[in-house]
Amino acid sequence: MNYIVPDILLLIFPFIVIGSRLFCSTKSNIPWRIANVGCIAIFILLNFIPLANGNGVFFLSNWRVDDFGILMREVLMVSAILGIWLSKDYFEHSADGRPQLHQIAEFIGAIAFATFGGVVVVSACDLVTFFLGLEIATIPMYALTAWNKKDLIGSEAATKYILMGSVATAFELFGFSYLYGFAGSLHFTDIQSAVAAGPSPLLWIAVLFLFCGIGFKLTLFPFYTWAPDVYEGAPTPVTAVLSVSSKATAIAFLVVLVFGPLAPIQEQIAPLIALLAGTTLFVGNLGALKQSRLRRFMAYSSIAQAGYIMIALLGPATIAETAIIYYLFVYAVSNYLAFFVFAIIGHHREEIFASLKGLSKQNPSIAIALAISMFSLAGIPPLAGFFGKFHLFFSGASTGHYAIVAFAVLNNVIALYYYIQLIKSAWVDEPDGHLTPIRLTRRQRSVVILLSIAVVVLGFLPFLSNNIFSGFTF
Amino acid sequence: MDTILFNLIWIIPLLTVLVCVPISANHGKLLKTIHATSATFVLFLVCFLVYRVYALSGAPVDENAAPLFLRFFTNIPWISLFNAHYIVGADALNILLLALTSFIVWAGVLVSWNIKGNQKVFFALIQLLATSVYGVYMSMDLVLFFVFYEMEALCMYLMIACYGSGRRDYGGKKLTLTLAFGSSMILATLFGLYFESGINSWSIVELSKVVLPMDFQMWAFPLMFMGFAVSSSLFPFHFWSPDGHSAAPTAVSMLAAGVMMKMGAYGCLRVAMFLMPEAAKIWLPYVVALLIFNVVLGPFIALRHKDLKYITAYSSISHLGLIFLGLAALTPVGLRGASLQMISHGFLTGLFFATIGMIYERTHTRDITEMGGIMRKMPFLGVGFVLAGFAGLGLPGFSGFIAESNIFIGAFQQESTLTRIVTILAILSVTTTAVYILQTANRMLHGPLPQKYESLTDGCFREKLVIVVLAACLLFIGLCPTWISEFLDQSIAPIFDNISRVGR
Repeated sequence: MNYIVPDILLLIFPFIVIGSRLFCSTKSNIPWRIANVGCIAIFILLNFIPLANGNGVFFLSNWRVDDFGILMREVLMVSAILGIWLSKDYFEHSADGRPQLHQIAEFIGAIAFATFGGVVVVSACDLVTFFLGLEIATIPMYALTAWNKKDLIGSEAATKYILMGSVATAFELFGFSYLYGFAGSLHFTDIQSAVAAGPSPLLWIAVLFLFCGIGFKLTLFPFYTWAPDVYEGAPTPVTAVLSVSSKATAIAFLVVLVFGPLAPIQEQIAPLIALLAGTTLFVGNLGALKQSRLRRFMAYSSIAQAGYIMIALLGPATIAETAIIYYLFVYAVSNYLAFFVFAIIGHHREEIFASLKGLSKQNPSIAIALAISMFSLAGIPPLAGFFGKFHLFFSGASTGHYAIVAFAVLNNVIALYYYIQLIKSAWVDEPDGHLTPIRLTRRQRSVVILLSIAVVVLGFLPFLSNNIFSGFTF
Repeated sequence: MDTILFNLIWIIPLLTVLVCVPISANHGKLLKTIHATSATFVLFLVCFLVYRVYALSGAPVDENAAPLFLRFFTNIPWISLFNAHYIVGADALNILLLALTSFIVWAGVLVSWNIKGNQKVFFALIQLLATSVYGVYMSMDLVLFFVFYEMEALCMYLMIACYGSGRRDYGGKKLTLTLAFGSSMILATLFGLYFESGINSWSIVELSKVVLPMDFQMWAFPLMFMGFAVSSSLFPFHFWSPDGHSAAPTAVSMLAAGVMMKMGAYGCLRVAMFLMPEAAKIWLPYVVALLIFNVVLGPFIALRHKDLKYITAYSSISHLGLIFLGLAALTPVGLRGASLQMISHGFLTGLFFATIGMIYERTHTRDITEMGGIMRKMPFLGVGFVLAGFAGLGLPGFSGFIAESNIFIGAFQQESTLTRIVTILAILSVTTTAVYILQTANRMLHGPLPQKYESLTDGCFREKLVIVVLAACLLFIGLCPTWISEFLDQSIAPIFDNISRVGR
């Protein structure tokens, strides 16, 4: 029974946070504190769930809690906690030339709903629940993107996002309908046996549409074009949540699909996955080369990361699932570290490369944190990002897809170039006297230090990489 | 006990960085003292371990405790997710390379005493770089090896771009990205080694016992060999080295040319050739064709350059070409010569860049046409430079001679006509080396002293110490060649046995 307790808590949690607004003033810190306690409590609770329960525990025949699901919940919770921490400052003063945000309780509630959507995706056992999960995860993100009612760029981004997202949803539903037509059932086990019995053209159409639909959400080539504008237009904490939680949900969707109902034809769809992975990471890397705005840059960087994650789907289920979860953990930590640094800069200056000038001389600690996060995203050892990518490639190579692994590895050099470009702005360029000096609050400093240590340590310490997987249960 | 001390080699630099984190950057003197003490300590530690390996050399070998003659062998499970282990060990070659590294790191810390900018970060980066190089020469597990190997990229860019001179950002990017390109080629093949070997192991010891499938070896060997050769600046991947070295601060040039470029040659030998010997025999003649550029054209390019660091960089390119000639010869003498050249060139190029850095600190130019008569004002630095030059052109009595003669003999023993022709060309190119070294020394050190250099001073005690120690190492190898070559032969023999697959 305890398997479903965190899910129930997570479902109640946003209501509590939003409800707390009724009992306290607008400026009050209480909703934020409740959110912190709640998220951390759920995260700790998740870590107490014993793993290795084989096929998973079922509730009402279409809600399944398995190892992958539990670990994905942990990833999503980490992302939610960090997102909540990051958003706090944006409700206190304006940043990056945008007005200040309001209604923190609803904001956190929306993040929590999106997180719950991710949980539904990893627990679903039939197409309807599966689809609902994806929508619960996406719709709050539309609202979050347009949270700044008075900000035109944000509204434009949200419009773009909602239009693209609706098209993607339509694609998915179409794919689901064909899958249902093909298998005659909504339940994953029935679909799997129907697929194993022999594919038909109907199935291929379904697969194609499903990949198109999820391609929008995972920002795969050629469906990635909305990402830079939305990442640019959304408030920074939303961009961070979007790039981690949303991406994690989308990749979890693919994992559930490829290793669930579509498992019998994984080998046949491998070329499609490899093609999507290769083109996505290449396009993402090329796009990032010439960016000068930080959030736009992170958009292209995260498009490329999506390409890298796709490579893991080529491997067998056991390796691929651990690889993806491990990578998502590492990616979440490194990405949030970068966004925390950008947020600190954004509170005082514009969020562009030129604002980083002279950072190493004025605020060496932020410059070091920035270098750590960038090198980690670029996959340079001994930082966590390297071990994450290594595991992804390991998964891809384990089924003999050396060509795509080699292509991805060589692409890493391009990635290193643009990450170094960013580091150069902070470390090499001379300070610019016109820029406002940067001061850190104590919370910002402690979070940056915490995340930097996590990025340095998470990779090479064996007990950590083991324990996160066994959920601290040994 | 020895094993613990051995593992401390890479842990101490890392601990030094951690110790220095809470110290404020304003306490420059304290920070520098801590780093210098730590570097000196590691230097003595490694020297002690060289003695221990030497003392053990006659002892019978237990195949489990010391496979492949690897002393201090440690094998601990590390990351179970992809079966990586922490495997370290050292035979004669490794421990000598470690000794070389510890000397260069020690000298590097001492010569950067007055570096401008944030000293706290600079010395931390030097120690991280040291950790990475020590780790490469110790690790016998491919994941561990690669982690250490790639770590250098992180330190190199920051050190060159923040503390360098001239086109530092350009030079730093060029160096880092080219090296990263090389390591990505290696990484791509590592997965193949793991899965194609059929034993699912990253251990170099285990993998060396397996004959890998030939069709895999045929594509993996050139990829991996060239990947390693990038950091040893084998043609056509030599272009990063002159720009990178000239932009780098003195200590980084010393470390890059002295030990980092050897990491590539070491990787070629220990990983590429050692694990895929069958393909090596087929592919190495093509490598011989490539190194004509390094060996023959390198000295000529150096002849035309006016910038001291460019001259030294091209001289390094040509000397590293000789290492590859020794490796490609695939004879025991050639391999011994290549190993000797790695060590000898490490010391001599360290001395070269150290003296150049010291001279540059005083004259603020590296253009030899602007200099002259420096010997009169700085006799000590001048002599140091000339000693390094003599070792570089292979004068008997210095280490360069021993190494090069071994390489030439070894390469000539190889029966292929191409190798013999290249060997003869290489021997002839030593003359060009002599020309550019003597010409540089002549222009820079002798002749009339320009007015602006009247007030220059000779090296201080710290600088003299560095020069004396490095020059003593060069002379020691040159004057007692038997000791070091017999010592090296203990590790060359098993490597050669595996490469020629004797007894299979």
